[in-house]
Amino acid sequence: MANIIANLNKAFDSRIRLGIMSVLIVNDTVDFNTLKELLELTDGNLASHIKALENLGYIQTIKQFISRKPNTRYKITDQGRTSFQDHLDALSNLIG
Amino acid sequence: MEKHTEDLKAIREMMEKSSKFLSLSGLSGIMAGVTAIAGALFAYLYLLRHHSSAEFLQKQDLLILTVDAILVLVISLGFAIYFSRRKAKKKNQKLLSTVVLNTMYNLGIPLAAGGILSIIMISRGQTELVAATTLIFYGLALVNVSKFTYGEVHYLGIAEIIIGLLAAVFIHSGLILWTIGFGICHVVYGFIMYKKYDLN
Repeated sequence: MANIIANLNKAFDSRIRLGIMSVLIVNDTVDFNTLKELLELTDGNLASHIKALENLGYIQTIKQFISRKPNTRYKITDQGRTSFQDHLDALSNLIG
Repeated sequence: MEKHTEDLKAIREMMEKSSKFLSLSGLSGIMAGVTAIAGALFAYLYLLRHHSSAEFLQKQDLLILTVDAILVLVISLGFAIYFSRRKAKKKNQKLLSTVVLNTMYNLGIPLAAGGILSIIMISRGQTELVAATTLIFYGLALVNVSKFTYGEVHYLGIAEIIIGLLAAVFIHSGLILWTIGFGICHVVYGFIMYKKYDLN
């Protein structure tokens, strides 16, 4: 049992981070506002969780300009994909 | 343990919500089917009145039947948009522009190709395979778009393709097979979807 719980990733303890990862694992790239709308979060709240996931190397930021307006998009990294998948497996195993 | 179950549920919901068009209402399917049956009935009565044998169609007849078919498409789309909006509003879902665009794009390519091909066939006077072509391309469009919406759309697509191929074999039953594919299938599908997803 202890072994299975050890597979749960502390980084995904927060429901918000789970949400961000869930969205990014099924979409190639997603912009900040779409994420905000989907997860129903404030700018500051979303930004801090994105920063945390980025620092862990789970997501990456793509900054670009769309008709001269800055547009920030996010993409899941290979490492992020693997970690999230492991976390999902651990969750499923726990529930049995 | 409770939290883990909730976590998994939230993950699944967020994956669906961010990638699938789930506002399509069963009522759109029912209304599309009813519209198609009405359109087919009009075509049938028109042919009955103006041709004792429907073997050879005049230019004017083709024009009227084409307008009839296009009207069916436009009215069905109108119902789909109206009921989707209503459902999204009722369930407080936000229509994500990326999801809507993805859906339109994947549905639109086979649909446009089939539509253009049908018009080319009609303009050349080769009308015998038009019913089959519209059914098959519509079925392909549904199969293509099904990964962005309810999985059941996949099976509706397969049904349309099979009926379309039958319409290519039994050319003289084109209109009746067209009515089954666009009319009856839509009504049945819409009814199932309405009961399964819209009623609660």
